[in-house]
Amino acid sequence: MNPADLDGSESGGRQVPLTAAPDRPAVTSLAPRQTPPPGELALVDNFREGVVVTDPTGVIREFSQPALRLMPGLVVGHTFAGCGVAPLSAGELTIGERRVRCRRVDLTIAGATSIAWYVEDVTDAIARSDALLAERGRARFLATASQQLGNPLHEDRAARAAVRLAVPTLGEVAVVVLAPRRGRARWWRAGGGDGPTLVDGGVHSADGLPPAVAQALDGTEPSEADWLADQLAEVGWLGGRRPDTAAVRVVSLPGSASPTGALIVVRGTPFDEHDVEMLRGFAARAGAALDAAVLYRDQAEVAETLQASLAPSEPPGVGGVQWGAAYRPAQSSLRIGGDFYGAHELPDGGALFYLGDVSGKGVDAAVFTGQIRQGIQALRRIESDPARLLTLLNDSVLETTRAHGHGRFATMVLGSTHPTHGGGLSLTLASGGHLPPVVLRSDGTVETLDLRGMLIGVVPDPRIAALTVQLAAGETCVLFSDGVTEARGGVRGEQFGAARLVAALEGCQRMPAPAVAERVEQVIGDWLGGRNHDDIAVFAIRAVPPSVPQRHLHAVPAS
Amino acid sequence: MTAVLDSAVESAYPRYLHCLDLADENGAIDVALSLLDAGVPAERVLLSLVAPAQAQVGEWWQRNEWSVAQEHAATHVSERVVAAVAIAARTRPTRERVVVACLDGEWHALPARLVAEVLRLDGWDVTFLGASVPSPHLVSYLHRHDPRAVLLACALPMRLPHAFRAIEACRRTDVPVLVGGRGFGADGRWAAKLGVAFASDARAASSVLATPAFDAATPPALLDDTEYAGLVAAKVELIDLALERLDLRRYSPAQVDATLADLGYIVDSLAAAVYVDDASLFGEFVGWLGEVLSSRGVPLHTVGLTFDVMADRLRDFPRAHRFLREVALRPAA
Repeated sequence: MNPADLDGSESGGRQVPLTAAPDRPAVTSLAPRQTPPPGELALVDNFREGVVVTDPTGVIREFSQPALRLMPGLVVGHTFAGCGVAPLSAGELTIGERRVRCRRVDLTIAGATSIAWYVEDVTDAIARSDALLAERGRARFLATASQQLGNPLHEDRAARAAVRLAVPTLGEVAVVVLAPRRGRARWWRAGGGDGPTLVDGGVHSADGLPPAVAQALDGTEPSEADWLADQLAEVGWLGGRRPDTAAVRVVSLPGSASPTGALIVVRGTPFDEHDVEMLRGFAARAGAALDAAVLYRDQAEVAETLQASLAPSEPPGVGGVQWGAAYRPAQSSLRIGGDFYGAHELPDGGALFYLGDVSGKGVDAAVFTGQIRQGIQALRRIESDPARLLTLLNDSVLETTRAHGHGRFATMVLGSTHPTHGGGLSLTLASGGHLPPVVLRSDGTVETLDLRGMLIGVVPDPRIAALTVQLAAGETCVLFSDGVTEARGGVRGEQFGAARLVAALEGCQRMPAPAVAERVEQVIGDWLGGRNHDDIAVFAIRAVPPSVPQRHLHAVPAS
Repeated sequence: MTAVLDSAVESAYPRYLHCLDLADENGAIDVALSLLDAGVPAERVLLSLVAPAQAQVGEWWQRNEWSVAQEHAATHVSERVVAAVAIAARTRPTRERVVVACLDGEWHALPARLVAEVLRLDGWDVTFLGASVPSPHLVSYLHRHDPRAVLLACALPMRLPHAFRAIEACRRTDVPVLVGGRGFGADGRWAAKLGVAFASDARAASSVLATPAFDAATPPALLDDTEYAGLVAAKVELIDLALERLDLRRYSPAQVDATLADLGYIVDSLAAAVYVDDASLFGEFVGWLGEVLSSRGVPLHTVGLTFDVMADRLRDFPRAHRFLREVALRPAA
């Protein structure tokens, strides 16, 4: 309680008698006492609570001034009904336009039983606490909205979240119209008819939008006028409500450059200043969410284009060769990294293939792998010998890195494959400082090739290692990046190592090439157990008997 | 007609298993496509031929009758068969887009793949993201494409705490999440514990997706994971304590790795059981472990010893301690 609470109660007509307090017991005392002479209620006239004393049959014996102010018409000697006043009961009740808290105390005064009714006007206190609760409710609503609107990073989903949140707090129907793209505006609506939580939507031509919405999309708030509802009814957004009974507000959803959309709310009761303030607060939050979603979309489009140009491409179908690949970049959201692999068909029926790793990580490294792959793509037309091709590539990379001054380098294995008699393959492999490939022999053993060489893009004319290896039908050569052998995992975070890789591949001679690559990826994944890792790439080349027809992936008509 | 079709599937089954045994991709695809030609619906080929065969393969591996390499090759062949059947069925999507993915670290993609294909046959516009999808990739995909829902598969209960983190990440995109797989318990009881919608099979998933109420946001589950966090922190120490009791000099490097991995699985499963506060999760894992180890000639008393050592260390972990004490290790029947 604060002094303000008492203001209204001190306006009683009588002064507080200065001699009153010490020698008189409190009015609420239940102890038997002398019936006060008439007018002796002067003391309680200055209490906030009013008091009315009746006999057991309800006839009024006396009352204080605050009681009279609440119930004009009280007369001693009559019942409440006789005074034209509704009878009192304990609890909160309404008397005229006031909210009153009422309690009843049975008293025995000088052997006579009386009933004392204490009545307190709580109208103002209730209004104040209602206002406080409403303010708190608005704050809580906006806090929840901020939190939930911040989740989606997709424009439509953010718009749907906004309309779902707006109903029923802001209005009975809520529509978000997104800023038009290519002449068309998508809209989402909640409360449009089939249940309050159901969200529907559609597309509207930008030219045909209601003028008020177009205005909001331009960043100015249309004034509240009757024709707002008519405009919306025309495009069918009122959801069956009659325009003459609907209160409508249209606000901009602000974005960093221009509005990201417009928010329309429709309800049966008019908007007061608090409602409008809350609506604007909500619109600011929804606008920010949509803005983030649009920004994310634009950046994701760029990233996807980049990713599509840098992601490994499907190796071409080449007779007698089965390819298998696995790729797990360190930066998992973008799925590109510094490892690369690929294959090209050669004019003589063979194929060129490679797997490598550039220095660095992430997008920069991925862009560099793109340059290397383009280099191979171009150079293979003038040179098909792997070792000589790598030397040419080294010169080209050196030139680029010197021009850009970024000092990047790469390691890689590059090979060519040609079919041999009996379903095998003859591989010619060259390496620039890369981990040596392994070969799965048909007896289930795993052979590590002796192939090293020097880094590509560091010195002119590096030493390139080269060798030729024969694969019998069913044998597989596996190229891999250091993300495999250097994966830190197990119980204590130790490196996976070459020995474990060899052990994991032993006995896998019957696996198709894609299964071999998958197996390495899986074993490494288990080893990592969720830890971070470097880029991981595996490329398997398996000799398959050319007699096996390439698989037809369509249903053969029944004969 | 149904009986005729069933008998066609039944008679093709042994041939199909034989192809898996040989890792004969073309042969297996031929078996499946010839069933389609004979009028067997694609869904039945997937659910009555491919799925049971794969379950059989898993069982053979569990009983050590097949090597892990054989199982892996067979799984690859099954995946190719599913792809071939999907292409042959050529369903045009008539419904909204849904995304199906296996959570990070989940390599058993085939069950999820089958669900994806059955949903596709049901008219959904399905994107299958594959095995072990890293959460950041999954989340950015959801933000980008705004699908009707994302279906997440988890085959191993020991991955549940990780699964839950990924589920929460997906929920923050506002895309409704539906989960499936044996990792959530045969009846999905651990999905219920984590407060996430569960479908027991592809049919159930399709009907859940068709329910508008499925969109309603679920309140986040409140798990008391203090004991779980403590267990995760004590993992290496627990494994070391268990290793002290084993005579590792007699083990080959591969056996040491396998033992370390098994001890890791024991702690992970115990932690997952603590996470969802359900002793049966650990009990089921131990039953499975008993079968796998005894069929590989590992003496089970060493595992029992491991449980004792861990229980001793985990006196201050009421749930973990009780689970370890209650569990009984049995060899394969």
